[in-house]
Amino acid sequence: MPTAPHTARRSRWGEHGLAWAFLLPSLVVFALFIGYPLGRTIYLSGHANDLFGAPSRYVGAKHYTDLLSSADFGRTLVTTGLFTLLTVVPGVLGALVLVLLLENRIRGVRLLRSAFALPFAFSVASASVVFAVFFNPASGVLNGLLSHVGLGPVGWLTDSRYALVSVALTTVWMNLGYNVLVLSAGIASIPGEIVEAARIDGASGLRLSRSITVPMLGPNLFFLTVVSTVHALQSFGQIHILTKGGPDGSTRTLVYSVYEKAFAYNSSDFGTASAQAVVLLVVVLACTAVQFGVLERKVHYA
Amino acid sequence: MKKSARALAALLVAGLSLTACGSSGDSGSGAGSGGSADAPGAQALDQASGVTTVEFWHSMTGKNADVLNGLVSQFNAAHQGRIEVKAQFQGKYDELVTKYKAAVQQKGTPALVQVYDIGTRFMIDSRQTVPAQAFADEDGYSLDDLDPNIRNYYSANGKLVSMPFNSSMPLLYLNTDAFKEAGLDPAQPPKDLNELADLAKKLTKKDADGKTVRYGFGAAVYGWFVEELIAESGTMYCDNDNGRSDKAGKVVFDSAQGAQIVQWWADLVKGGYAANTGRVTDDAQAAFKSGTVAMHLESTGVLRGYTEAAKFGVGTAPFPKVTAADQGGPAIGGASLWISGPGHSDAEKRAAWEFEKFLTGPEQQAAWHTGTGYFPVNKKSLDDPADKEWVAKYPQFQTAIDQLKATKPTPATAGCLLGVMPQARKGVETAIEQTIAGSKTAQQALSDAAKALQPAIESYNSSVG
Repeated sequence: MPTAPHTARRSRWGEHGLAWAFLLPSLVVFALFIGYPLGRTIYLSGHANDLFGAPSRYVGAKHYTDLLSSADFGRTLVTTGLFTLLTVVPGVLGALVLVLLLENRIRGVRLLRSAFALPFAFSVASASVVFAVFFNPASGVLNGLLSHVGLGPVGWLTDSRYALVSVALTTVWMNLGYNVLVLSAGIASIPGEIVEAARIDGASGLRLSRSITVPMLGPNLFFLTVVSTVHALQSFGQIHILTKGGPDGSTRTLVYSVYEKAFAYNSSDFGTASAQAVVLLVVVLACTAVQFGVLERKVHYA
Repeated sequence: MKKSARALAALLVAGLSLTACGSSGDSGSGAGSGGSADAPGAQALDQASGVTTVEFWHSMTGKNADVLNGLVSQFNAAHQGRIEVKAQFQGKYDELVTKYKAAVQQKGTPALVQVYDIGTRFMIDSRQTVPAQAFADEDGYSLDDLDPNIRNYYSANGKLVSMPFNSSMPLLYLNTDAFKEAGLDPAQPPKDLNELADLAKKLTKKDADGKTVRYGFGAAVYGWFVEELIAESGTMYCDNDNGRSDKAGKVVFDSAQGAQIVQWWADLVKGGYAANTGRVTDDAQAAFKSGTVAMHLESTGVLRGYTEAAKFGVGTAPFPKVTAADQGGPAIGGASLWISGPGHSDAEKRAAWEFEKFLTGPEQQAAWHTGTGYFPVNKKSLDDPADKEWVAKYPQFQTAIDQLKATKPTPATAGCLLGVMPQARKGVETAIEQTIAGSKTAQQALSDAAKALQPAIESYNSSVG
C-alpha cells in the first residue's frame, strides 16, 4: 500500500505521542512516589533538623562524612552484609534442595509442596511473633527442646552472639515459601523432552539434577538471588518485632538504623537518617549491578 | 529487547529500595512561633459561644484506657453544651511524641497532650505549651494538694510546667513462696544491692541435671531501673543538678554509683543468678509471673496484674538502695498533661485547664488509683474511703505509699531533665548489654555511652538556643 511520506512522518509522530500517552500514568506515579521521595531524601540529607525534625540549616555533606568516620555505622554496614548473606544463601539453596527432593515420586508430594510454600502466606508480623514465642528465653520451645538433650539455655534473642542468626533464621523460614513456589514453577516449565532425552541417555537422580534441572533453573535462581538480596537489605519488620536492633546493636541493619535515627527514641534526626537511606540506595544499586554484571552471564536462558 | 528488559529490572529494583527510604519526614516550616505563655482567665470560656472542643491525645491502653474514658465521659456530662473533651489514643508514649512533632510542623497540635516523664524537657523547649503554673497563678488555685515529689518532678525553676496525671514508681517484687521454700523471710526483703545479690544466690534453684529452674533475680534490660537506682543512691544522672538548676549539658551516669549498679547487674547474670530476658518488659514480666524469677523490678502499674495472674504469693518491697548508707529515693515515673498555647483559642486553653483540674481532683485520682494501680497525684485521694478499702484489699500497694512518703524531694529524686532523655536511656541499656556480654567493663561501657551521647545533647541544646 503506497503511503505519502508526510503521512508516514505524521503517523510515526502520532505513534510516539500515543506511546507517551500510554506511559504517562506510570511516569506520573513514578515521579510522584519514587522521584519526589528520592529528591526529598537527598535534600534532607544535606540539612540539619530543628527540635521537631523539620529541616533547618544547610550542612552540605556533613552527615555523609560523619557516617564515614562513625565506627557504629561501619558496624551497621557489616551487620547488614552478614544478615544478607545469612538469609540469601540458605534461603535460596534451602529452597532448591527442597524442590529437588520434591521431584521424587513420593506419596503426597502435592501436599508437601503446598506445605513448603505455606510460609509465603504468613505476614512478617505474625511470623515474627510466632518465632518470638519459640525464642522466648523462659518458656520458649527451642530452649525446651535443648534442655531435653542436656544443653543449657541459649539466649536466642538476648545474647549478642546469637541474635543475628536467630533473626536470619526467622527470615529464611519466611522466604522459603516464596522461593519454593518460584522454583517449583521453574521446574514445571522445564521442557519435558529435555528431561526425557537425559533419561534416555541414562541420567537420573543427582546427575539429572546437576546437569539438567539446576542449569535449567538458572533464570529462576538468578531472579531469587536478586530479589532476596534486595529484600534482605530492606528487612525491617522481623528485626523490629524480635530484637529492635539489639542486644548491643548486634542486629541493627541499615534500614533499622534509618528508622532509629528518624523515628525511635524521639531523636527526629531526619538528616542522618536520610543520608543513611541514600547509602542504602547506593548499596542496593551496587549489589544489583554486580549481580546483573557477574551472575547473569552464567545464567542459561532457554 | 533483552537489554531494555534488564534496564527495566534494574530500575524496578532501585524503586523497591526507595520505598524504604521514602518516608523520611514531611516538609514544613520550623514551628515554635512564639505563642503566648499567658493563661486566659475563666471569662474566656464564658465569652465563648457554643461547645468548646478539647482534642486530647493520650497513650493509655487496656484497662487504663477504659478508666480514662470513663473519667472523660463524666467530665463531658458535667459540662454538657459547653465543653467536649475528645480523647484520642495516639500510640505508645514514644509514638505519641513523634506524632506530636509532626503536628507541630503542620500547626495542628491537640489542645491537650499526655507526654511521658522523660519527654518533659522536650516539651518545655518546644515552647508550644502554657505552663500549668500560669493557670494556677491566674486563678489563685492551690497546687498544694499535689504530692510534693510528683510536683517536684514536673517543676522547672520552681514552677509547675505540666499537670501530673498518671504517676508510677518502681518496686521490688518478691515471690514469697520462693522465699519460704528457700528458708527465707519475705518480710525481710533486701534493702541494698549487696543484700539483693546475696539473696539472689540463695533463691537460685537448680535441678538434678544442674539446670537452673529458678533464678534469684530478673528484670528487663530497661534504663529506667538504672535511673531509679541512681536516684536511690542520691546522686545525679545529668549535670546542673539533674538539669533542674540549669539546662543539662552532659550526662554523669558514668559515675562510681552508675558503674556499680551496671556491674552488679551484669555479674548476677554472668554468675547464673539472674535471668536475662532482654529489653522486652513483657518477657521479664512473664518470667516473674511464671515463677522462673524470685525477685524482680517493675513499676507499681503492674501490681494488679501480678496479684491476679500469679499462682504464688506476690510481695512488694521498697525499691533497693545502692548501698545501705544511701540518702536518696525513687523518682517518679509516668506521664503528665500539657496544654497547648500557639494556635489555640483562649476558650480551648481554658477548657483544657478545667479538664486537668477535674482529672487531678481527689475523687478522680482515687478512681484512677484503684482502677489502674498508678499512684494518685492528689494527696487527698489516699483518704478517700474507696481508696482506703482498695489499699486494704491489696496491702502490697502500701509499700509504694510508704516509699513515696519517705522520699525527700531533692534534685536527685526529681530525676534528670534532658532533651534527649530517651536516647540516654537507650545508651544505658546498650551499656548493660555490653557489660553482660563481657565486651566491656561497666565503667567503660557507661563512659562510652556518655561520650556517644554528647553530640546529640549538644545538637539538641544548640537547636533550642
